[in-house]
Amino acid sequence: MDKMVACETCGLVQEMDAVPEGSVAKCARCNFRIAYRRTSSRSRTLAFSIAAAILYFPSNFYPIVTAFYQGQHTQTTIFQGIKSLWEHHQFFIAALVFCTSMFTPALKIIGLIFITLTLDWPYWKKARTWIYQIIRAIDPWNMLEVFLLAIGVSLIELGQAATVNPGRGVFSFAAVVVLTLLATLSFDPRLLWDSPAEQKRYE
Amino acid sequence: MNEKTHTLPKAKIEKAFLNWVIWALPVAAAGLCLYFILHDFIFAGPTITIYFQSADGLEHENSTVKYRGANIGEVKSMTLTKDKKFVAVEAKLNYSAGDVARQGSVFWMVRPELKVGSISGLRTIVSGNYINVQPGNGPRTNEFLALNEAPVEPVKAVEITLLTDDLGSLQKQTTIFYRGVQVGEVLDFRLADDSRRVLVRARIRDEYAPLLRVNSKFWNAGGIDVHIGLFSGAQISAESAQTIVSGGIAFATPLDYGDIATNGAVFALAEKPDDEWKKWNPVIPLHGVPEAQKEKSSLPQINSK
Repeated sequence: MDKMVACETCGLVQEMDAVPEGSVAKCARCNFRIAYRRTSSRSRTLAFSIAAAILYFPSNFYPIVTAFYQGQHTQTTIFQGIKSLWEHHQFFIAALVFCTSMFTPALKIIGLIFITLTLDWPYWKKARTWIYQIIRAIDPWNMLEVFLLAIGVSLIELGQAATVNPGRGVFSFAAVVVLTLLATLSFDPRLLWDSPAEQKRYE
Repeated sequence: MNEKTHTLPKAKIEKAFLNWVIWALPVAAAGLCLYFILHDFIFAGPTITIYFQSADGLEHENSTVKYRGANIGEVKSMTLTKDKKFVAVEAKLNYSAGDVARQGSVFWMVRPELKVGSISGLRTIVSGNYINVQPGNGPRTNEFLALNEAPVEPVKAVEITLLTDDLGSLQKQTTIFYRGVQVGEVLDFRLADDSRRVLVRARIRDEYAPLLRVNSKFWNAGGIDVHIGLFSGAQISAESAQTIVSGGIAFATPLDYGDIATNGAVFALAEKPDDEWKKWNPVIPLHGVPEAQKEKSSLPQINSK
């Protein structure tokens, strides 16, 4: 027998046939996707996190800016920037930039990979939920990457005196930010408490 | 509930977005990393060590190596050699400039310089000193001994030696004139072995080489000549404004000129020219176009990544 479902987006109640593999149901009125869960949550989260993890290395290894100033040039990686902030006794800002640009992305990536890989695990479900809670909690703090942007802009403001070029690091870094964002968005926490049978259906 | 009165709309079933496509992302990320690594690995220029007697004004990670004004590398580190006589400056060259790491290449530091008649390296007052290079074409090597000062740019020329009793205002790069036209310059000078004379090594550029004959006469054209005659009044003459401050050498070739002088020819450098010398006016055809003009006509090949 057909099922009756309500569209999450526009609220229209409609009939839905069984959805065969490789297909999706779409709302008759607003044409938005109808699903019980986020689509292929597990593999998407894993794919985004792994891509972010890979790009995490170049984003920290390569310089984020290359500045040419009066014929001399300086290349700065994120860590060198933090170090020089620390050396200039800007301890708070140094700690802030370290947390938002190096620490939290790493934590998020490791946490997401861990919980997506261990979904089948029947143990420590509470602990893994707790990890997910932490990831959700630190998510808004990642937005502080704009601080880094502010530093960059102030450098570019030097325009007349110095030429500032973005390095490889900054592109990788931007990719990491976007990928971790997508990874947390695509993770469905209900997966954590699914029974093995449900998991097969929704992952 | 009556099914006939309440017909519900039906959700559409469409083909889903292929799930495996998402895995292209990590693959692309890995590909990008691989590209970065390979790029650095393949397009890594050589690291060379240049020994300076003084690395004053160089900064590690900041100073550049330049050739013809273009950055071709950067200073990576500076360490003192074991005997403490030199500073070993390690520089990483760009890939496109890797060819500079050859025997015969000479490196020297460009710093602001104020000399009689010339000011150079003004830019380095703000930008800091940099290392300049003049590429050689010997076999590959990674170690160089820096020169203390800029070498004279090599051009095709006839090298000659001038003998004089007194160096006067002559110095390296002092110009040699023929009828007021710059045709060559002084390369360097030293005392003769018996210390009775000064040997001045000079060169006449190739395109003007036919002017120089074995019986040509050289004289010191520096400073101002002042002749005070009873009837003619005072006559002040100088080769050019430049020679007044930095000195100069002029030469003339007699009407019955001899063979073209070759490399290693020796001439006497007179203090003053004979009046007769300045009147010499031989017809000598110059062969070829000056090298500078030749170079312009053919586009250079860019040695890029």
